[in-house]
Amino acid sequence: MNDRNLVRGLVLIAISLVFGLQSLRYSLGDFSHAGPGLFPFMVSSLLLLVGVTMVVRAQFVERVHPDFKFRNIAIVLTSLCGFALISRFVNMIAGIVFMVFFASWAATSYSVVRNLKICAGLIAIAFAFQKLLGLSLPLY
Amino acid sequence: MDVLHNLAFGFEHALTLQNLMFCAIGCTVGTLVGLLPGLGPLATISLLLPLTYSIPTGGALIMLAGIYYGAQYGDSVSAITMKIPHASSIVACIDGYQMTLKGKTGLALFTAGVSSFIGGTVAIVVLSFLAPSLGEVAFLFGPADYCALMLVGFVCVSFVTTGSLLNGIAMCMVGVLLGTIGTDVTSGAQRFTMDMPFLADGVGLVSVALGCFGIAEITKNLDNHEDRSPFNGKIHLIPTWAEFKRIIPSALRGSAIGSFLGILPGGGPVIAQFAAYAVDKKLSKYKHEIGTGAIEGVAGQAAADEAAARTSFIPLMSIGIPENAVMALMMAAFIIKGIQPGPNMISGHPDLFWGLVASMWIGNCFLLILNVPLVRYWLSVFKIPYNVLFPAILFFCCVGTYSVNNNLDDIFITATFGLMGYVFMRLEMDAAPLLLGFILGPMLEENFRRAMLLSRGSFIPFLTRPISGTLIGLIGLFIAWQLIAFVLQTRKASASRRIPPIAPEVGVAKE
Repeated sequence: MNDRNLVRGLVLIAISLVFGLQSLRYSLGDFSHAGPGLFPFMVSSLLLLVGVTMVVRAQFVERVHPDFKFRNIAIVLTSLCGFALISRFVNMIAGIVFMVFFASWAATSYSVVRNLKICAGLIAIAFAFQKLLGLSLPLY
Repeated sequence: MDVLHNLAFGFEHALTLQNLMFCAIGCTVGTLVGLLPGLGPLATISLLLPLTYSIPTGGALIMLAGIYYGAQYGDSVSAITMKIPHASSIVACIDGYQMTLKGKTGLALFTAGVSSFIGGTVAIVVLSFLAPSLGEVAFLFGPADYCALMLVGFVCVSFVTTGSLLNGIAMCMVGVLLGTIGTDVTSGAQRFTMDMPFLADGVGLVSVALGCFGIAEITKNLDNHEDRSPFNGKIHLIPTWAEFKRIIPSALRGSAIGSFLGILPGGGPVIAQFAAYAVDKKLSKYKHEIGTGAIEGVAGQAAADEAAARTSFIPLMSIGIPENAVMALMMAAFIIKGIQPGPNMISGHPDLFWGLVASMWIGNCFLLILNVPLVRYWLSVFKIPYNVLFPAILFFCCVGTYSVNNNLDDIFITATFGLMGYVFMRLEMDAAPLLLGFILGPMLEENFRRAMLLSRGSFIPFLTRPISGTLIGLIGLFIAWQLIAFVLQTRKASASRRIPPIAPEVGVAKE
């Protein structure tokens, strides 16, 4: 799995198989009276073709290393999910505080004072959204 | 004189205090977005989409349009002063930054601002004359023609944004497949919902856009650890008369090129700038100076950029088919407001159409003020460190996603698409065609099924109808050209190197 072009093709093949095999479970109908499964099946077949082409093509062109760094995306996604969970079970202010403090691990430097300032700013903006724009944010 | 009458009618709507305010907000936010890294017009429009629910229709559209063309103004500023290109200001980095090195930052900024104003004005004239007459043509379109037009759009956007037809088409198809999630309109069957009730309505557009553009972009910037040093030089804005005279011809050329390329499917600011720059290099009186910091190198591309951003509204508003990803989002905004863009929109909602056109010109004036005399204040935006900015952007993404349905579960979907967008970005696959495919997918399916129903299951009408036949012929030619180019290229490559290099085994176990 050290070739970006190959990975690309494999990802596309995987997506096309997920959608294509699933669409076979819906009625396909025929072209004049298309069922719900026909169009997704057609598109995923084409996508499968493109994916296979990419895998074949990857054998002919120079290899390029995929450049995955999972640390930052993991931090960002965890802080998003944490925000959603905490906002549901506690309240959104706690969610904001968690998100700012957790997401800052991905920054170039970590500063508690800076995080507190950002939290204060964001909570103020959240109140402005709630009071001025009428968004129903579960702030407290 | 119909047009003048209509424009006067449009100004009546655009000049109300409320709409002026929305226009000003849109332009300001747009400029800010154009300046800041990590938030393109796509992410911003999708962020603000939920906020427009409570705003009247005309005001909402005026504001969203302002963000789009405002961002085109703003992004040349960062390119000129610090050589930071955004999505659509790659060309401004060449001559604009050279001018900064020569100490002519003020002149470059003035040129970019004034040229954008000229480009915008020309494009609005084109828009107000062409959109209504193109709307008449759209009545000739049948379902097969719409299908063919959307396919042309996919092919063009794929090629223009990613440079590789195969990658782009693949992303379009992934988008189309994602668009089929939810309830099938014709049969009522639930597709790909995995028995989860919140997927019955399909995946939210805002979740897809924010995940693929907002979250993925933030992570990319974090990965890069870019340290930006803010610009602290002096800015002398007012040019001499001789310098001013050099701006005009180049800006007019750029406006014409931009207006034309903006209308074509797949067209838009990026390709227009490159074309304008290339033409200036061939035709300008000062062509030997271009590349070393010439006024023409900034003027032409800035005008083309701005003109194309505005004429790309033409296909959306007259035919009802968006031609790039941002326009697809604008279409979503129209539909959320209960208006179907297309040939009936101009006659059915003349106040909206002409109000929007008139507001574009008012926005142009706002932007000229924001970007020329006030530009030095905007430069202080760069002093905000990214470490402060990105938690705030994350928060806006959360609020934007949540407020569509007041549902916290949507944030998980955004996070899922964030991961997907990140993987695609690391695989160097642009997500813009995905978004276009996602928005056009349901329309494509509907028109395809309708065309097949009419033709009783035969594909022949796609080729025999004059409009769809021509369009499909164009696609065929384009694909053939790509195939031939690829075969020639591999032959050349394999002739020049017999032994393929063996890739070293580093970076595999990064996970």
